[in-house]
Amino acid sequence: MKKLFNATETMVDDMLDGFVSACPQVQRGSIDPRIIVRAKNAKNADDKVMLLIGNGSGHEPIAMGFVGEGLLDANVVGDVFAAPSADLILDGISQVAGKAGTILLISQHSGDVINGRAATMMANDAGINVLPLLMYDDISAAPPERRHRRRGAAGTMFIYKILGAAAEQGRSLEALMTLGEEVRSRTVTLAAAVSPGISPLTGKAMFTLPDDEIFLGMGVHGEPGVGRVKVGPVSLLVEQMVDALLADRPIATNGQVCVIVNGMGGTTMMELLTIWNETRSALEKRGIAAISPMIGSYVTTQEMGGFSISLLEPTADMLDCWCAPSDSPYFPRIASFAEDQNQ
Amino acid sequence: MASDRFFEQLHREFTQAAEQLNTLDAAIGDGDHGTTMLRGLTKAVSAPDAMRAKAFMRASGGASGTLFGLILLGIEAHIDQGAALDAELAKACERICDLGEVEVGDKSMVDALAPAVAAAQAGKPLPQIIAAAAKGRDGTRDLVARRGRAQYVENGGKGHIDPGSVSVVMILEALFSTEETP
Repeated sequence: MKKLFNATETMVDDMLDGFVSACPQVQRGSIDPRIIVRAKNAKNADDKVMLLIGNGSGHEPIAMGFVGEGLLDANVVGDVFAAPSADLILDGISQVAGKAGTILLISQHSGDVINGRAATMMANDAGINVLPLLMYDDISAAPPERRHRRRGAAGTMFIYKILGAAAEQGRSLEALMTLGEEVRSRTVTLAAAVSPGISPLTGKAMFTLPDDEIFLGMGVHGEPGVGRVKVGPVSLLVEQMVDALLADRPIATNGQVCVIVNGMGGTTMMELLTIWNETRSALEKRGIAAISPMIGSYVTTQEMGGFSISLLEPTADMLDCWCAPSDSPYFPRIASFAEDQNQ
Repeated sequence: MASDRFFEQLHREFTQAAEQLNTLDAAIGDGDHGTTMLRGLTKAVSAPDAMRAKAFMRASGGASGTLFGLILLGIEAHIDQGAALDAELAKACERICDLGEVEVGDKSMVDALAPAVAAAQAGKPLPQIIAAAAKGRDGTRDLVARRGRAQYVENGGKGHIDPGSVSVVMILEALFSTEETP
C-alpha cells in the first residue's frame, strides 16, 4: 500500500511540525516536544482546571486537533497506535498543572489506562493535584451491567467538549469530575466497519473483511465486534444501530439527543451526511429529536472505512457547553438547533 | 550513592539474560520481554540522576515498561534519596496489582514481588528478600495465567516460569551486588 511519509522513525514528528506550524492555536511543549499545548494561556489560568489527554498517534485529528480555547489544554502524543509512556504523560501533566487542579482524560484502552493512571500516581507523589477520568462509551465492548469495562470510542468527544467549555468558565475540579462522569453515563456509541485501515508502520491491512460484509461494533484498531451484517441500504444498517443504542440506554419519547456521526478515515462526507440523515430520521420515528450534530472524520484509523454513531442525552447545561464557541485547530462549530427553533 | 551503578549492573545482567528471557516469554507471551527490558535499561544507563527509571519507562514502552518502571522508580528513590526499601517496594507492588489488575497467584511478576515485599516488611536482610522472590518465581511454573497473553496459551502457560517474575529477582540481585560492592 502506498503511503506518503518520509520514514517510520520520523513520521510522528514530521506530522507534528506540520501541525504546529499550520495552526496558531497550538505549539510544542517546553518540557518535551511530544506535548502539544495552547499557544496562549487561558485568561484566568490560576482559576482554570487544566484538561489533557494522552493517546497514540495515527488517529488524527483527535486529540491534538482539540487543543485550544474552550477545549483541551494539552495533548501528549505517543508513537503510532501506541499509548504514550507514563513518564511522558507525567511531563504533560507537569507542563500544564496549575493551582486549580488538573484532569487527565483517559480513553479506556489497556495501555492508555495503565500508563495514564501510573502517570497520575507519579504526579500525586510529586505533589501535583491531578485526577484521572476514564472515558468509555462503546456498547459493543461490554453489556450494560459492565459498562465500566467498555472501551473509549468517538463518544468521548462529548466529554472533551463539554468539560472544555465548563473548565473555561472556571468550574472546580470536583464539579468537572462529576460533570464528566454524568456525560459518560449518558453517552453510547456503536461503530460499523466496512474496510481496514493500513498501518503506516507495516504497510499492511489491520484486519480483513469480506467485500459484502460489515463488522458491527469493531474497535478502532480492528478489535472484534459484536457481529457481521451483509451490505445493504445504509438506512437498514442505521436503523439496526439506532435500535441497539436505544436498547442499551433508552431515551423517552419526546426526548432529545446530541449526535456524533464519526467517520473512521476512509468514509466520505457524502456517506457521513447520508448516515446522519438516516440517524435523524430513525430517531424521529421513535419520537426523539436529534440535535446539534457533529459530523465528520475526527477519530480515525488511517483510511479505515466505516463510521460510528454516538448519542448523548444532554442536560440543559451539557447542551450549552456542547454548543459553546471554542477555538482549536480541528473541532467544528456545533450548531445549537434548540435556540434556532425557539427564535 | 547515586543509582548509576545499580542501573549499570542491571544493564549487564539483562544484556546477558535477554535471549533467555525472550525464550521464556516466547512460551507464554510475545517473546520480547528480554528485548523490551534491555531497550529500557540501555536508555536508563545514559540518563542523568533521578531520571533513570523514567528513561527506562519511556524507552521500554508498553504496559510492562510502566509496571517494571514503577519498581525501578522505587529502588532509584531508595538509592538516591534514602527512601525505605520496604515502603518503596510495597508501593510499587500495590500499584502494579492495581494497574495491571493482577494479584498473587495470577502467574505474573507479582508472584515474585509480593513475597519480596513481605520479607522486606518483616525486616529481613536483602539476601532473604531475594530468596523469597526466587521462591515465588519458581512457583510460577505451576500456576495458570489469569491475565495477559499467557491466559490464552495452552493450559494458561502451566509448566513455564513467568519471565516477569525472573526479571523481578534479577532487579533485586542487581541491587544486592551494587550495595555489596562499594
